[in-house]
Amino acid sequence: MRKRVVITGMGVVTPIGHTVREMFANILEGVSGTAPITHFDASTFPTTFAAEVKNFDLGHWIPNAQRFTKAGSNARFALAAAQQALADGNLLGANGLDPTRLGVYLGSGEGSEDFHSLASSVADATEVGGYKADTGKFCSAAFGRFDGEHELEVEMNTTAGHVAYEFDLCGPNLTCLTACAASAQAIGEAAAMIRHGDADIMVAGGAHSMIHPLGVTGFNRLTALSQRNADPKKASRPFDLNRDGFVLGEGAGMVILEEYEHAKKRGATIYAELTGYGSTGDAYRMTDPHPKGRGAVMSMRNALIDAGLKPADIGYINAHGTSTSANDEAETAAVKGALGELAYTTPVSSSKSMLGHLIAAGGAVELIISILAMRQNVLPPTINYETPDPLCDLDYVPNQARPKTGVRNVLSNSFGFGGQNITLIASRT
Amino acid sequence: MPANSRRTVLTGLGVLSPIGSKLSTFWAAALAGTCGVRPIQLLDVSPLPCRIGGEILDYDPKAFVPAINKDGRKSLKNMARTVHLGVCAAQLAMDDGGPQKGQIDPFRFGIEFGCVMVATDIDDIACATKLSAAATPGMIDLKAWGTVGIESVPPNWMLKYLPNMSACHTSIFFDAQGPNNTITEADASGILALAEAYRIMNRGLADFFLVGGTESKINPVSYTRHSTFTPFTKKNDTPATAIRPFDLHRDGIAFGEAAAAVGLEDLEFARNRGAKIYAEVVGVAAGFDKGMKGKILARIIRNALAEAGIEPSEVDHVNSHAGGSPYLDAFEARAIHEVFGHGVPVYALKGQTGNTGAAAGILELIVSAMALHEGKLPGTINYTTPDPECPVNVHVGAPRTVTKPYAVKISYTDMGQCAVAVLRRYDG
Repeated sequence: MRKRVVITGMGVVTPIGHTVREMFANILEGVSGTAPITHFDASTFPTTFAAEVKNFDLGHWIPNAQRFTKAGSNARFALAAAQQALADGNLLGANGLDPTRLGVYLGSGEGSEDFHSLASSVADATEVGGYKADTGKFCSAAFGRFDGEHELEVEMNTTAGHVAYEFDLCGPNLTCLTACAASAQAIGEAAAMIRHGDADIMVAGGAHSMIHPLGVTGFNRLTALSQRNADPKKASRPFDLNRDGFVLGEGAGMVILEEYEHAKKRGATIYAELTGYGSTGDAYRMTDPHPKGRGAVMSMRNALIDAGLKPADIGYINAHGTSTSANDEAETAAVKGALGELAYTTPVSSSKSMLGHLIAAGGAVELIISILAMRQNVLPPTINYETPDPLCDLDYVPNQARPKTGVRNVLSNSFGFGGQNITLIASRT
Repeated sequence: MPANSRRTVLTGLGVLSPIGSKLSTFWAAALAGTCGVRPIQLLDVSPLPCRIGGEILDYDPKAFVPAINKDGRKSLKNMARTVHLGVCAAQLAMDDGGPQKGQIDPFRFGIEFGCVMVATDIDDIACATKLSAAATPGMIDLKAWGTVGIESVPPNWMLKYLPNMSACHTSIFFDAQGPNNTITEADASGILALAEAYRIMNRGLADFFLVGGTESKINPVSYTRHSTFTPFTKKNDTPATAIRPFDLHRDGIAFGEAAAAVGLEDLEFARNRGAKIYAEVVGVAAGFDKGMKGKILARIIRNALAEAGIEPSEVDHVNSHAGGSPYLDAFEARAIHEVFGHGVPVYALKGQTGNTGAAAGILELIVSAMALHEGKLPGTINYTTPDPECPVNVHVGAPRTVTKPYAVKISYTDMGQCAVAVLRRYDG
């Protein structure tokens, strides 16, 4: 028999709450985290709003937080979420465990690039009206402006390194970045590592912020972001006919994954068991999902097989549900492909309607929401659902949280640009 | 299915490196001790402290495109150098020994890459930045950027630079619909990617993986950014002898660019299709050496040997990460010494290529795979004076005959994130 992996701690930093409890209360109230961007002057950008983390104070979570002043906000969010998850799992401080048996696996992005130094140095190296920048002039200007301590922190492995160093986690340490699927993939692979025996406990999840000028620029150029500037709180409207793109969010989500016998032996609180994990590639296009959700169907099927479950066993689906035209339509088709007729009677909702899209961190936060829904017998809503789309015809739990008892297994989807499809299933123990 | 009941082998190998852009030239140069660290030519880095590095000078991505497919040429303009290097290395590995279309179920064909954050090409944002430069030096007028600036950025700009793009383009070109991941753990990325793919193979979820690593810092933004914090060598005037792994007179690293990919394949599957087999993967391990004392890296090496079911005395050579850093080489040497004593031959490639970052793990693993396959291990260059802080037996000079069946590959990051893989000679 393969080892069982359970979740024994959870932590989040999100646009609608800096703790799991606060976030989930806001989820059930249908609170939107979206507002005009304050991190920089985005007033003339095609999209002027985002779901920002507000009033975040790392010092509330760890001592001497000024050590991380130059770290990316992804690293700061990660440290706070990891602290919460470890405290929740009773794993902070002297716990008598061998630190090399506790690892870290994050789907985590980069720290924010120093936009002004970078872009002004390119400008200095470009002639008026020019389309080419001079390399030597750029290097000279940028070398004078870049701050080495900050640039080091931009690197993608620093977040997992800081979490490991801060909390003395000397087991396997990994970072993956499969765009919007990353933290879900991190959780799936971390659980597999525990089953194999590579670790007893993994701090797994993700952290990301792309709410900076280049992040918004990139997504705006791809026409992926909602431009509903007049009414930001209504902008994220997954599965609604009038959806026009996703809302950029930021934050972190972490779970403590632990081998079941290990957790029982130390008397840990067990929130759920991670029973299913499916991972596929679309091999279709860079930006668009396969229209029938080919890879997504297979990731859901593989997760069901992994969990030893049938479609009828799934009581709730937390959708990737980005609020883009293509995703929501393809995901709807994929749920039908994976569940058949049961797709129409299985509630599916998108937490991104409230949280925005936390990019690499999204999957971890959404798994936590799925687990809380199962434990508290209430399904989170999809807010801003006003006009049904004939191509999106499932039960999206519109606008109001819905009491539902007896959910034993929940399924959470995360799909990334470039076609990575990840499905996680969590079950009651 | 019990762990490790399946055997997993390396079939096709693909290399793009400063000392060769195909496997045969790379291997010949590795054996000959050719140095690919030279004055940087592809960029004007004259204002920066380190002006030497390993560049791939005989590389034209277009040359690979016809081999990929007709959509490939179109895709190239949406790929940063790091990304197309990775895709082309994957193509080389497939050419060398991957399964043909129809030989493999697309859902059992996985992709794992090691990569890092990919910096923008400055030309892509040149016009936008010029249109929105503020009057204050060093600043951009965001109100101008938001209007005329953004409009001047290419529509697919972001897609060119996402770190998972090598893996994604590769999956599209080869219709690989199985598990697909990109590890972004700096210099440890490649071996961590290999380890994860190996685990997935052990779980029975794939028959074949392309496992790659790719990184080019030969980009003005990336090179300048890293110049602000990298402990570089100061030997700009003597590039061929500048990078001195484990040597007493080492004084820092230089960057190289590379991409490498291997086919990782179920042994039965490989046998059934008559694939050429270079070596077998028999153990992997990872961990975080907090404070980089070397004790935990030693333990990780032991964990990998334990998974392989072998003693240190059965190891032919240790293929190290060492790249000429005074601090890091000593860290690694302490760990190797703790596990192996002074006896085992220790090899380092980086004197010939520079530090190729996320590409290094797979690139250097290929040296060990070739060594086990061909029966000879290249010598480490630029090692002339032993350093008491590095108590290891560095293999130098002419290639030595491989005498034992196992090789150990070590990779780690500057923060202490470590990964180790053990290869076994394939004897049928």
